[in-house]
Amino acid sequence: MRAGTLVRLALAGTRTDTARVVLTALSALLATLAGLAALTVLAIEKPPGDAWAESEQYRNALLREPGLRGGTAFALLMLTIPVLALAGQCARLGAPARDRRLAALRLAGATPGQVTRLAVLETGVAALLGTLAGLGVYLGGRELLHRPDAQGQLALPTDVLPSTGAVAAVVLGLPVVAALATGVLLRTVTTSPLGVSRRAGRERGPRPWAGVLIAGGLLTVAAIRPVLSRLNDDNDVLLRLVPLLLLVGGLTAMIGVVIGTGWISYTCGRLMRRYARRPPALLAAGRLMADPWAGSRTFAALLAAVIFGAGAAVLRAYFAAQDALDREQNQLAGAAGGSDPFYLSTMDLVDVAVAVAVLIASGGLIVAVVEGIVARRRAYAALVATGVPRATLSRSVAWQALTPAVPAILLALTVGTLLGRGLFGRVASSGSSVGVCEASAALCDDPATSAQYTRVVETPPVERVPDVPLEHLAWLGAGATAAVLVTVGVGLLFLHSSTALDELRAA
Amino acid sequence: MGGVSTPHVLLGLLAGGSRHGYDLKRAHDERLPRARPLAFGQVYATLGRLQRDGLVTAAGQDRAAGPDRTAYALTGQGRATLDEWLSTVEPPMPYVASTLFTKVVVALLVADVDRARSYLTAQRAAHSARLRELTRVKADPAATLSDVVAADFAIAHLDADLRWLRATLDRVADWHREVHP
Amino acid sequence: MTQLQARGVVRAYGPTPALRGVTLDVAEGEIVAVTGPSGCGKSTLLHCLAGILRPDVGEVTWRGHRIDTWSEAARSRLRRTEFGVLFQFGQLVAELTAAENVSLPLLLAGTGRREARTAALTWLERFGVADLADVRPGEMSGGQQQRCATARALVTEPRVLFADEPTGALDTLTGEQVLTQLVRLAREQHTSVVLVTHEPRIAAYADREIVLRDGLVDHTGLGLDVPLAGGAR
Repeated sequence: MRAGTLVRLALAGTRTDTARVVLTALSALLATLAGLAALTVLAIEKPPGDAWAESEQYRNALLREPGLRGGTAFALLMLTIPVLALAGQCARLGAPARDRRLAALRLAGATPGQVTRLAVLETGVAALLGTLAGLGVYLGGRELLHRPDAQGQLALPTDVLPSTGAVAAVVLGLPVVAALATGVLLRTVTTSPLGVSRRAGRERGPRPWAGVLIAGGLLTVAAIRPVLSRLNDDNDVLLRLVPLLLLVGGLTAMIGVVIGTGWISYTCGRLMRRYARRPPALLAAGRLMADPWAGSRTFAALLAAVIFGAGAAVLRAYFAAQDALDREQNQLAGAAGGSDPFYLSTMDLVDVAVAVAVLIASGGLIVAVVEGIVARRRAYAALVATGVPRATLSRSVAWQALTPAVPAILLALTVGTLLGRGLFGRVASSGSSVGVCEASAALCDDPATSAQYTRVVETPPVERVPDVPLEHLAWLGAGATAAVLVTVGVGLLFLHSSTALDELRAA
Repeated sequence: MGGVSTPHVLLGLLAGGSRHGYDLKRAHDERLPRARPLAFGQVYATLGRLQRDGLVTAAGQDRAAGPDRTAYALTGQGRATLDEWLSTVEPPMPYVASTLFTKVVVALLVADVDRARSYLTAQRAAHSARLRELTRVKADPAATLSDVVAADFAIAHLDADLRWLRATLDRVADWHREVHP
Repeated sequence: MTQLQARGVVRAYGPTPALRGVTLDVAEGEIVAVTGPSGCGKSTLLHCLAGILRPDVGEVTWRGHRIDTWSEAARSRLRRTEFGVLFQFGQLVAELTAAENVSLPLLLAGTGRREARTAALTWLERFGVADLADVRPGEMSGGQQQRCATARALVTEPRVLFADEPTGALDTLTGEQVLTQLVRLAREQHTSVVLVTHEPRIAAYADREIVLRDGLVDHTGLGLDVPLAGGAR
């Protein structure tokens, strides 16, 4: 196949295909920005001096302190997860139509390789355009935001650039990964020119194995503190294991929640199928049972953000409790003030990151809901023709999205909270004895008299369990549910065009 | 329907054992429900010819029931003839010849397009009516499989004729131009 | 009694006229076939009669009420209660079992779950697919799917059944079995049928045939105005 033919056929899609290409490029752009930002933070050079020497050119402690920069970069990288999930959803947009088109090309005599190359080319080129645009935005933003203030300090690390190799790896690597993923996803289509074949019925729904993953993840994270307390400070190897344990435990629990959503979907579907009295619930139940993993795929990014947010809420409660405890202790000791307010203000940034992640995940949700409607347009059109009101169909779409979403969000909140409390379940003050001199400054300053007025204040070691931040968690859950509701609302706008009668004429 | 092979049908009916002429007529009408009913005279005439050629033989007479009730049986030669007939494939439409087709050709030769067209239209109506009639026979819950299979044979042919009639109606003007250049 | 009536119905898709003035009556319990070559407007006529589409010009009346002026909601209700609709394929909800698909119209009308299922099973039984009650469409053959779809179209015991190429995706024998059953049940219930097809042998199931050509009624297959040769029958 000539290159020209390849490009012509790759561009022969409909408006949905255009939308998919644009969205793929857009998510590649976002992922590039997040990746480059993380690389930039990592590229900040540690000034000479001891381990705590700060990079004084930045205003923000997150950038200044070498101990925090790693975490900042990590958080930025974590933001790419919902972005990549969005990219995955975008790749599914209009996929049935594309699958049919590719299958038609196969029937016309194209080899599996040629068809795969076509699809891979489409995704790869779209992603490359996105990453290149992302690079442009990054470089442009760098110039625009490079504004030192009066002290010559910078808000962002606009004075450093990641190495060329690292930049190239992001800009060229993302499209390659996207293209490879497309190639893998198209396996079934490219092997059969008949496209999607008749689907065998699922004999059994998902089993609740996800519970094991969740429990394992929670236990791993909960084990970190006891392990730490038994360690000597010099046990370096084990100390390095801690972040690994945290990562593995957290990810296991997260995967458990996402997989568990499949089970939740199936179980909700089964219950609704048994007890539903009205057609909308019945339609939704049938769909939930027919493809329980759709819920997992759709909600993965949102649930990850919710788990993260719940963990962050617990962390904030921990800092607040620590602050309160320190204040009390200091008051006992006659001093004012609490712990460093830095941690609490950093939590604001984390909350913003969670909100952004929920927002991006909602973008993926919209794509998934619309795709689900468009893929069923023939059956929808037929139902409308037989007199099923569109309102009934709308309600079934809402049922289908909300029924698994609400328990899944609750589960994610619980798991996030438990993860957080496994690590930050208790605030402690080690206790101290402070000599307090209760006399005039002159008397106290005189070593001869001070002892006589000095009283030793013993503050016993205190351990306290911070409150579960119920209100914060409720807001998070409400926000995530609202995101689902809004996406359903947007998705329903597509229902009307999808039930147009023309769908019945296309054989 | 041309080409109905009454001698072979009678040989086939005798293959299961000897039968009287009356039995043969009844069995014939039962097995071929939509065929033109066989007349008694035709049965006896055909049996006479088959007996002359040595394909069947009189297997005794039932005096009590009357002289006409002679039972006939298949001879070895008759069985061989039947076997040969059954193993011969019918040539599929060796000549394109049918009154329907010929009539349109003649209509075009002697008259104009309108004449041919009005014939085709009328024929189409007649075919449709007959097709509907046979479909009703077939859809009757009381219909036996013999009825259904027989009706089906005619339906398939009428269906094919109707498609031909429709297509020809669309082509008749061009066809006329070819016949009368 | 005239059940359904189209008067001078004109309908176009953009600049392309599909119907250019069609008039048609369907009597109670009558089976009418609408035939004609591809693109003659058969399906459009069916959609206008069923109240799925509104004609650009002309009117459609149902038992004396003009329905083409009704709102979409009112026409939906009419389709759901008085009409049954059957398409060539792909009308069953892929995620629901056969019994659930068939009970759907009853549930929409407010029938209870158990009652609807009982009725659905009865209708599946009538079409010989009762054993498939708990099977999803994807696991059935085309003929089995079409039997279920026909059961769904008839389960509300509609007054008119609209069937658009109902046997188009089936082989001859299967198509005939489905149609024979459909016609038999329609006659039992005095349901009128509007049957769109391009096959003469399918049209032959009807009492009357309307042939469309380029959006107009070409002729109707009623009676004979010429003698049969030799009077042979």
